[in-house]
Amino acid sequence: MALLPNAVPMRWASGPLEIAKRGKTDGFTPQNKQTLERFHDPASLDILKDSPIDCLLLSWAAGLPEDAAQQKSAAALVAAARQRNLAVAGWVEGTADHAAAIAAARAAGLVAVAIQDFKGQTDFPVIPWGERGKMPWDAPGPLLAATGNVWPGVTVPGFGDSAGPTRVPWLDSNGWFLQMARARVRKPLWLMFDPPAKGRIITAANYQTAICDAEIAGGRWVISLDETVRAGLTEGNAPARETLKQIGAAIAFFDKHADWRTFRSLGILGVVSDFTGDNFDMSGEILNLAARQNLQFRAIWKSQAMAQPFTGLKALIYADKAAPEAPLRRKMMAFTEQGGLLITGPKWDPEGTPTDPGFDTQFTVRTFGKGRLAVAKDELTDAFQVAVDAQFLISHANDLVKVYNASSSGCTLVMGSPDGKRALVEVLAFATARVYGPRTVWVREKYRGASLWSIGAAEPVRIEPMPADEYFGVECRVPASVPGYFALEFEV
Amino acid sequence: MKVTRREFMAGAGAAGLGLIQPARLRATAPTAPVAIAKCADYGTGFLSATEKLFDQLGGMGRLVKGKTVTIKINLTGEAGMRQEHFSAGRTSWTHPRTVGTIVHLLDKAGARRIRVVEGAWVWAASLEEFMYKANWDARLVLGAAPRVELVNTNLPYRGRKPYTRFPVPNGGHLFPAFDLNTVYAESDVLVSLAKLKQHDTAGITLSMKNCFGCSPTTIYGDKVPTDEPSPIPYGGRNQIGHSGSRQPPKSAPPEKDPTSPRQAGYRIPRFVADIVAALPVHLAIVDGVETIAGAELPRPGYTKMVSPGVVLAGTNCVTTDAVGAAVMGFDPMAERGTAPFEGCDSTLKLAEDLGVGTRDLKRIEVIGVPIQQARFSFPEHLGPRPAFGGRRSQ
Repeated sequence: MALLPNAVPMRWASGPLEIAKRGKTDGFTPQNKQTLERFHDPASLDILKDSPIDCLLLSWAAGLPEDAAQQKSAAALVAAARQRNLAVAGWVEGTADHAAAIAAARAAGLVAVAIQDFKGQTDFPVIPWGERGKMPWDAPGPLLAATGNVWPGVTVPGFGDSAGPTRVPWLDSNGWFLQMARARVRKPLWLMFDPPAKGRIITAANYQTAICDAEIAGGRWVISLDETVRAGLTEGNAPARETLKQIGAAIAFFDKHADWRTFRSLGILGVVSDFTGDNFDMSGEILNLAARQNLQFRAIWKSQAMAQPFTGLKALIYADKAAPEAPLRRKMMAFTEQGGLLITGPKWDPEGTPTDPGFDTQFTVRTFGKGRLAVAKDELTDAFQVAVDAQFLISHANDLVKVYNASSSGCTLVMGSPDGKRALVEVLAFATARVYGPRTVWVREKYRGASLWSIGAAEPVRIEPMPADEYFGVECRVPASVPGYFALEFEV
Repeated sequence: MKVTRREFMAGAGAAGLGLIQPARLRATAPTAPVAIAKCADYGTGFLSATEKLFDQLGGMGRLVKGKTVTIKINLTGEAGMRQEHFSAGRTSWTHPRTVGTIVHLLDKAGARRIRVVEGAWVWAASLEEFMYKANWDARLVLGAAPRVELVNTNLPYRGRKPYTRFPVPNGGHLFPAFDLNTVYAESDVLVSLAKLKQHDTAGITLSMKNCFGCSPTTIYGDKVPTDEPSPIPYGGRNQIGHSGSRQPPKSAPPEKDPTSPRQAGYRIPRFVADIVAALPVHLAIVDGVETIAGAELPRPGYTKMVSPGVVLAGTNCVTTDAVGAAVMGFDPMAERGTAPFEGCDSTLKLAEDLGVGTRDLKRIEVIGVPIQQARFSFPEHLGPRPAFGGRRSQ
């Protein structure tokens, strides 16, 4: 048995090591301990019957005294999993001895181990993992795993996850990071994050949002269940089983559309950066907040920027502290001269003729050739304001898509197939408690026909785009019955 | 919402404290004719209908020739909101083609310069950019005449004195004066290009209520500083306009009587009456070709798109709105407690009290299509109104 690139992993929290780690946290109860013990029992695998989940990610070594007991006691679970064609991978962390962990994994029949900063040599599959700001992008391995992610959803302190018209919610999403990562590496990327431990009821819709947030950006969440669902599953209760069923439905939907992973952003904004250290913090957050502005973007790694055409882009943001190398600078200025907009930090020679941007902005704007150069008056410190200013400078006249009656706390991605014959608009609402009315999707291009896909619908709904009433482009009417996530696949 | 006797007395006292003498002013409130036309579409139908209306009013040349004309449109609420799938121009907003048409006709009538203005909701950039966000092609408005400008009046006026003070003649009900964007001070002729629709708080919103949006949210908006206007808008007009939970910055005139009722149904009609008294509307155009019924904005479950197929115009905002209310099936002489003013005071009456114009249909000449033939009865209620956290609008 091998680890498949399209595996559907679940964080399988169980056993003595997990009990030792979690036992040190506040609020750990005897019931939590019992659940961890029950999940270590091979019989617990029954909960995965009829589920697309086919890979268990088991805590394997953490440099704790319980490592040996974990590995020994997992033997029965691993054997039972193999009998059910379930792959088991081990999670190695802390001060664990990497070589010993690999040897134990090989002996136990695991398909891989995930290790941070693995420096050794082995023919055993090792999944490199790292904090998302310090990812081992170039490390060998069948896939990459990232930690330090967020639970996707709306955060309004004290107000649950319902975004309303009278307050501005904060929206947590991992989509920007995945889009950035997908621009860097082609191998599968697993996202590690858990549901909030306290203070929230996690619904099936919340789980689906977490899956959608990762999948539409080309990543895969290592499914991690909250204590209530886990306990419910071991007791066979219906709501917990239904939640797992809904999780499976979301995964199955995206597996059915695996070809969408080959689609690429049609974004009009390119964010050029080395996405490392402070530059990761600033440019990453610009990506995150550009998405909140409904700005369709492409992450452009500085190391790849010379080889990538800027075709289709209306604007570039270069917010790295250090100036780019001369060839890249020339390329960006040529983009500007030919009609593009370049938005930079303050350390950029002010070339061109000053012009009025039409609103108060942190940038001095100059015309340069056929385009514009926007140079920050001071150091860039507020990524939100950069994203807002970028949106105004680029102008909504260049929008690719608009969604009416959508949640203000949502995201929209516009992508194209490699052959250019299909375009994909994916809309995800993060406010899962909201009741949606009829939504309308406007797209700039005059696409002919569209298929409306949503999780749970057996077949797509055929949509005939209609000319927009007040503008160019076409509009698609999405019925009110369609849930928070949907995709429109257009024939170009 | 009902006004308690204490609130009523406080309100009456507030009126008494000022210079208003309602009975005298009401009796002498000016009148002006209102023209009505049937109109089924926003294309050539709207052009020919408004051309005819303007002719019936004596031609626009006498009003706008050689003048700077400011057209206040209505883009209330967020750009992403729709009544079902209908574009906002067909329901709660001024339709973009009506803007282009009116700009074209006023230019043809000899206007020297035309400015299309709106205080776009919590919007820190240009009105042109808001239009693009709303999926309007701003070029169609800008290109409808040679000298057209777009101004977001929710920002300080650029390049000159940002705000100008407009006293309310006869003292005002709520405010003695307003600090408004200086674009209004540079205007010779103000056109209120409004929609024929109902309003959650004020009962109806036509050419007068449209002018609520003339108040800049950098001064009359939520979260503004205590002393000075904010540089950009931070919110709607709840705190100062609706609830009265705070005063405008000290740079602007405060309310006449901060002990008056803190109730939107009391405050908004007075705010609107004061503002149309301070900032006279010279031409009121009310688009009822297509609109929304039930409220001023889409409210799932109790608003719907309707097609009254009518346009009104007049040179007095009170007479025009009185006729508009009658076209909607309401009695413009109605008092608080009677539709459409079930939960509020009558803006028509309050403006009349300030001497802006008469609401008495017996004193208003109606030209063109008679009211009875133009009537499209709006429902008093389409359903239970949901508790709504505070988004209010023009």
